[in-house]
Amino acid sequence: MPPRANRRAPMWTRRQLLARAALAGVAVPVLGATGCSTRTPAGSGSGTTQLTIASPDNPVTWPITDDNQPIEDGLAPERNTTLRLYNYADYLAPAVIKAFEEKYDVDVSVSTFNNADEALAKVRSGAVPFDAYFPSYDQIGKLVSAGLIQPLNHNYIPHITDAWPVFTDPWYDGEWRYTVPYAIYTTGIGWRADLVDVDLEAYDNPYDVFWDTKYAGDLAVIDDFHTAMGMALLRNGITDLNTADADQLEVVRTDLLDLTEQTKPKVTITMYNDLPGGQYGLTQMWSGDAVNAQYYLGGGAQKEDLRFWFPDSGKGMVDNDLMVILSTAKSPVLAHHFLDFILEAKNSIANFAWTGYQPPQRSIDPERLVSQGYVPPNLRAAVVREEYFGSGYRLLELPPEVDAAWHQIWQEFKAGG
Amino acid sequence: MAETRPGQPVRLLWPLLALPGMVWMALLFVMPLYVVLAIVFGGIDPVFRSPLPAWLPWEWDFTQFNFVLSRILGEGGYFGPAMLRTAVYVVVASSACVLIAYPVAYYTARYAGRYKGLLLTLLIAPFWISYMMRMLAWVNLLQDDGLVNQALSIGGLFPGDIDWLNGRASTVVLGLVYGYVPYMILPLFAGLDRIPAATLEAARDLGASRLEAFRRVTLPLSRPAIVAGVLLTSLPMLGDYFTNDLLSGSPGTSTAGNLINNSVTTPGQTGQAGAFVLLVLLVALAPMLLYVRTTRDSSGVQS
Repeated sequence: MPPRANRRAPMWTRRQLLARAALAGVAVPVLGATGCSTRTPAGSGSGTTQLTIASPDNPVTWPITDDNQPIEDGLAPERNTTLRLYNYADYLAPAVIKAFEEKYDVDVSVSTFNNADEALAKVRSGAVPFDAYFPSYDQIGKLVSAGLIQPLNHNYIPHITDAWPVFTDPWYDGEWRYTVPYAIYTTGIGWRADLVDVDLEAYDNPYDVFWDTKYAGDLAVIDDFHTAMGMALLRNGITDLNTADADQLEVVRTDLLDLTEQTKPKVTITMYNDLPGGQYGLTQMWSGDAVNAQYYLGGGAQKEDLRFWFPDSGKGMVDNDLMVILSTAKSPVLAHHFLDFILEAKNSIANFAWTGYQPPQRSIDPERLVSQGYVPPNLRAAVVREEYFGSGYRLLELPPEVDAAWHQIWQEFKAGG
Repeated sequence: MAETRPGQPVRLLWPLLALPGMVWMALLFVMPLYVVLAIVFGGIDPVFRSPLPAWLPWEWDFTQFNFVLSRILGEGGYFGPAMLRTAVYVVVASSACVLIAYPVAYYTARYAGRYKGLLLTLLIAPFWISYMMRMLAWVNLLQDDGLVNQALSIGGLFPGDIDWLNGRASTVVLGLVYGYVPYMILPLFAGLDRIPAATLEAARDLGASRLEAFRRVTLPLSRPAIVAGVLLTSLPMLGDYFTNDLLSGSPGTSTAGNLINNSVTTPGQTGQAGAFVLLVLLVALAPMLLYVRTTRDSSGVQS
């Protein structure tokens, strides 16, 4: 404790300020480098600040500031403590958590969130001092520039070598200063062959299936504004899934309102449970949920009845989640060990076998996942291949005003018209 | 009464006893409400799109409130249908609660005899199980191959393939009725149990039929209880979103509670959530005043 307390002393005031300010809702300068966010009336927020947006075409290496340094080398992991994780539900294998608890003789508690917006708001409020958090790269700019996450000390994370090499210098976090990869996934279409008769070939565009009244009341879309609206863009042949173009967004808006009217989809993120449970027959689906669904079969459903579609060409939504350590972490050393533990091949694969979400592991050969029994043959399309990361479309962080425009359409969609 | 024993200690005693309650109200009602106001009439952080409350009333900015109001009432207002739906669901569900609860409460109060205690315990029993669990149980019952469909098919005689959980208003209303009916039974029972049997006997002695005695004595005397029950059920229904999320999950059944829940977790829309809260509060205030009036009248009748 003493060395840590000492090390953290200088930044504590700023932390406290940020946390208190967030709690009180007072404006504080969040972007030390690019400017100050000053109070502005609603709706006229643009212009005073900029948020750096990383993208494959615009790789970013985030700065490490004086008041937010990585932990020092050679510290012993914290003892007699609880490591607090903040993650989606059912996105981390209990057995893997248990193995970590036993190895380090600590407790691990997992708090869950339903969507990324909710998660960021809570992380920012600092109300709960989580140690590690599992975001996607669409929050990285905000997380870093507001000093919410701490840079990693790579010496504690030797098993990064177990992951695909690309993740030691990803476009969203050059030199992997703040993040390690967690799971990789595509977003496609899942269905139950025993419940619905689906022939995606029959449509001009496979995503048209969600607007087919034949499936009215028997389908679902993912409760994430970007993922669902991205699907509507792809349906219209628009591949810039981060568009700021008002006309393109209007197309999305019209399509979403049509969707409510024509097929009344459920909007949820529990497909891995609902589809095998027979709550609906057809759904937009993350590849990992499709693989995971085989463990949630109930009633008369068989593993063989599950189907998943993602284009062979890899031209669909392809993303990955991350593990980061929050600046407010009570056990930062232990958190580093946790990241390393999850990256280690055997734990990573054990985790995959439970969550269905594939890690970017060198030791996993995507071609052999089916023959090894991790993925049933009928879900072959749910296997994520490395080349998809070259051909797929990414859901990036959106500039605040674009984000607002997207969210307003999503709000209208969810209000149900 | 205080006037019968005048003196300093007594004059101070009552305000003193009221103090904890007043502090409680100030801390947990007035202050949070002011925070909501400050957020609704405040601004938005340009990067995180989190709310920036305006604490001083002369700095209030009505943009967000007007945004919500215009989208409820204005041309092409997309919140309008959800608000209307809320009103319909709440009115239908509350009415159903009264229709179901009144006979139950009436029977328990008047005819249950020595089983009154037992019946009352059984009626309160649902409170012991969490509301969420009871709704999740319905999900199991109502899913495509659930017990309800199996029962409806009577062994395959009928199709029994109703998609109960796929965005049906009727399922949501059913959930609301099921979830809140105990809150209706209790105040009704308390009200009906308090009506002196002598008043009914008097009505019968004076020549009223059973029906007339009910219509002219029991019903008017139980009116405060009905109003209390309707308030106890419809106010939480107004803000309920999880019944809807669990039993429908479709935007097609979104209600005010869903609008609040969706916007409060969306960056840049927290102020709008606050605006919805204020509007619901205003709408809820009307029946509250009605209740205050009803109880005042009734105390006049009974004394």
